[in-house]
Amino acid sequence: MSSSSRAELPLTGADCFLRAFDDEVRRRCGASHASQLVLRLGVGFDAGRLAALMERVAAAHPILYAPIRRRGFRPPAYRMDRARPEAAPRVRVHPLQQGRALPELFFERMNERFRATRGELMAVDVVPREEGRTDMALTWLHMLFDGAGSEAFVEWLDSVDRGERSVTELPPDDLEAAAPGMPEGLGARERGRRATAWQRWMATMADPAPRSLGGPLRTVPQALRYDLTTFDPAETEAIVARAKQSAGFLTPMLFYLATAIRAHDAVFRARGLAPGAYVVPLPVNLRPKGSEHALFRTRVSLLWFRVLPEIVGDFEALVAELKAQRVAAIKAKQIENGAIAMDYARYAPMRVYAHMARRAARGELCSFFFAFTGEFAGGIDHFLGAPIENAFHAPPVPVSPGSSAAMSLRGGRLNVTHVQQAGLLSREERQLFQETLRADLLGIA
Amino acid sequence: MSEWTPEKLTARVFEILRDELLEVGGDFSPQSNLVDAGLDSLAVTQLMLSIEESTGVWVDESLLTPENLECAETLAACVHEQLQQG
Repeated sequence: MSSSSRAELPLTGADCFLRAFDDEVRRRCGASHASQLVLRLGVGFDAGRLAALMERVAAAHPILYAPIRRRGFRPPAYRMDRARPEAAPRVRVHPLQQGRALPELFFERMNERFRATRGELMAVDVVPREEGRTDMALTWLHMLFDGAGSEAFVEWLDSVDRGERSVTELPPDDLEAAAPGMPEGLGARERGRRATAWQRWMATMADPAPRSLGGPLRTVPQALRYDLTTFDPAETEAIVARAKQSAGFLTPMLFYLATAIRAHDAVFRARGLAPGAYVVPLPVNLRPKGSEHALFRTRVSLLWFRVLPEIVGDFEALVAELKAQRVAAIKAKQIENGAIAMDYARYAPMRVYAHMARRAARGELCSFFFAFTGEFAGGIDHFLGAPIENAFHAPPVPVSPGSSAAMSLRGGRLNVTHVQQAGLLSREERQLFQETLRADLLGIA
Repeated sequence: MSEWTPEKLTARVFEILRDELLEVGGDFSPQSNLVDAGLDSLAVTQLMLSIEESTGVWVDESLLTPENLECAETLAACVHEQLQQG
């Protein structure tokens, strides 16, 4: 049964984990935990065609504007039976913008307050550029899609536009199934044991406590911005080869994570600060391997890494350490344990959950956020008839830790999006961050 | 001498992939390309864990090259070589 034909759809554990962040950001920082993807399109894009398509999609899938509410002690759910058409995502077309800089309004949209209880879950912004080009941003409450889901949504929209699929045809939701690869049929005691094991593992990450550039969570308006660095095809080819050679054919993300750790370390050192330890969560995609998957569900767990500053100076030693930690954590079944622990977020009040996550590290959550999502929407080279010149993610990060590095590939070019709270880094520190990252990615001594 | 012949290992690797780790159709065979079938970093590490449980040998990740991950047969051959080396 698809999401569109249900009266309500319960959130997954990972959805609720993200919802706890959203609650924290809403209460403390007046914004939302909203993620964004940007398509930079060539000549031929028709905003009217997109608007008409979105109207059809919204009519067929009220989950896109369904209020998220909890009923009694049951897990929170998308309430399709309460969806109000006026909350449906509309395509907003803005005035033409000169130059190639990213539109300021894309940053503003990430800091907007989406009211989930009213079904405000997604925004679509279109900015015409010179020479017939267009920038399009899709911004959504992160619990609606994970990164893989948002790319699948873009590809699905294009396939509906091309008439390859009916607008009502969605991949199956697989609602009642356990998360892919997760043990099924565990009793309450075993589930509790596995969740506790994950919690204890996380507690080990807090000794010594990590320190983020943003510092412990505080009440301050969220003001996220991002720097986008795009490497040319020749540079990207060299980076991809170096990543595979350094971290392995299937685990290049550890190479990219190492570069992000060192870029943050450079800023800490420039400030003369001791970071304690670098603690970074790495999202793990738990979607079924090799098949289509539900769009409107986040299916992730987290692998946590912790490295001491002493090791950060030697790049290859750092990558080797990350590789060893990854294998050890997988052997200890921490990915499964994490998914089970997140399931408890479906029942725990959001504030309690967020508080538990931060308590161990004295208000800090981690050093920074990181994601490497591989090829961005590799299944399409056009979107609604216009060539995709570039595409990237801008994932949200709360005021603490205040910094997030997201990397992905599109059309043979590596994109690095560094999302940060405005004012977190000085101009010189931003430059230092970028230069350190570039040098490590390319292997420049 | 190990009880694991290349054929037995191929069958075991194929079985784990088909039944536990990948969502594949009836046309999936020991000669099917694993990356095309959806094998990713998590699935391959879970596969290594299952192989370790079966054979007692942990396959070093440095051996997981594109050539060795071509299909269940090539991967089993790689594991078998590692087993022979003790």
